Amino acid sequence: MENENEAARRLNRRAAHIFTFACLCLWGIYSSLVEAYVMPGPWSVAVRFTEFFSDANFIGHMFWSFFHILVAITASFCVGFMLALLPYYVTVARKAVDRRLTPFLNSFSGIGWTLLAVLWFGINDFTVIFAISMVLIPFAIINIREGLRQLDNEILEMGESFTRSGFKNLMLIIVPSLYPYLFATLRISFGVSWKVALTAELFGGDRGLGYLLNLARQDFDTPLILVVILIIIIFVYSTERFIFNPIQNKLAEHNAGI
Amino acid sequence: MQAFNTTNDQSKTSTFPAIADSFFSWLLVIGLIVGWWALSRNISDLVMPGPLTVGKSLAEMFVDPVFLDDILISTLRVIGSVIISVILGLILALIPARFPLARVIVHERIKPFLNSFPSVGWAILAVIWFGASDFSVMFVQVAILTPFCLVNLAEGLRELDQEILEMGRSFTRNRIRIFIKITIPMLLPYVIAAIRIAYGVCWKIALVSELFGAESGIGVIMLRAQTTANASMVFASCFAIVVIFMAGEKLIINPLAKLAEQK
Repeated sequence: MENENEAARRLNRRAAHIFTFACLCLWGIYSSLVEAYVMPGPWSVAVRFTEFFSDANFIGHMFWSFFHILVAITASFCVGFMLALLPYYVTVARKAVDRRLTPFLNSFSGIGWTLLAVLWFGINDFTVIFAISMVLIPFAIINIREGLRQLDNEILEMGESFTRSGFKNLMLIIVPSLYPYLFATLRISFGVSWKVALTAELFGGDRGLGYLLNLARQDFDTPLILVVILIIIIFVYSTERFIFNPIQNKLAEHNAGI
Repeated sequence: MQAFNTTNDQSKTSTFPAIADSFFSWLLVIGLIVGWWALSRNISDLVMPGPLTVGKSLAEMFVDPVFLDDILISTLRVIGSVIISVILGLILALIPARFPLARVIVHERIKPFLNSFPSVGWAILAVIWFGASDFSVMFVQVAILTPFCLVNLAEGLRELDQEILEMGRSFTRNRIRIFIKITIPMLLPYVIAAIRIAYGVCWKIALVSELFGAESGIGVIMLRAQTTANASMVFASCFAIVVIFMAGEKLIINPLAKLAEQK
């Protein structure tokens, strides 16, 4: 049985590799039939990709994107956390946060924030960070609110019977119980932020991968467009696969242990 | 301990806090609008238009036939894209169920690829590939929405009750019949969830998809407003989307969900 499963899995994997290879071949064939600026072939994209990583200017843009994203994730995480805790401590604010603020932020489009931020702050790093943060905040609120709703009342009560310090209860009981939700928030934020960052930098930034994308778009430099997209795909996929998935498995193990 | 719990529950269900909640929530809305008004009073309308100016622009959008056309086109595109991407997501989710060999292909190649593809990337590529047209806008929307639908529907297929399917197989060997009479009804809640998510995401990315590849739509209004530094129109088009989104959720999605529940 074990062997059969292993064999089936190997077969599946082989089929997937063949599929990837077939896609690359189709792409190559199609690209040879149309103009290079419409669809550059896999080879010219690969060449451009290596060029990208040997040019300090391009790598600099990539690190600026990193910087924008890290700052925006941190800011939105802190703001979202505080906004989520507010109705927990000030119960009258429950409806205000859950029914007014969150749906509003959640349905306001990212592009809207970017264009408004350009009008307000001009084209600079702050605009980009502001736009990304505004998109991420509702994700943080929704996740952390859900975590607060799932808190174990018995454990909270135990905490209250040990100390009357609200801060101690927050740091020693509430925040640790929220870990899975905080982790989910970070994970979602990271995935979304890359995609939003491109839009924000494209309209409101003067550096970063999105800015590069805008330049490439104006010059009809399709290989560079595909390289930027490829970089984003690689980043998002590999952080999911090699960072977030292992951590989540560890967390699941840890929780199962309890 | 019992006493503690009951008092806690009572405070949640009694009417006084509910009224206080409502009161506070409206207070926040009014407070924000007043704060916005106070802030905008000393700043030029070009940078920070007041609530009144934006309200006027918003009303204009829903009255002026030219703007109404744009709104209608955007709405129709959103509805079309949601339907297409739910169907595509369903097909992609069903392939591994029918051909187990394709499981890795769908879930470890196609899904992560579509999932991590940046939306602006689609928008720019669509214009290069298809020019500015309705098709390229809908292409972008479908490309972005399909992975969301796929994730939800694949989850639904995994949760299908195998016993019931087996019962179905013992009654008929006709796969299509089993699919229509058993699989689809059991999948319905997940289909509704997929529609709901796709609808919400689609309005958010409608603007992105319309920025480069459209000749009409709310995204075009917004971009035109931005290039002419008409901040109140930028604001108004954002609010218009919020309004239409909520109206659609109340008038279409929620009744649809109820209908599915009754079945």
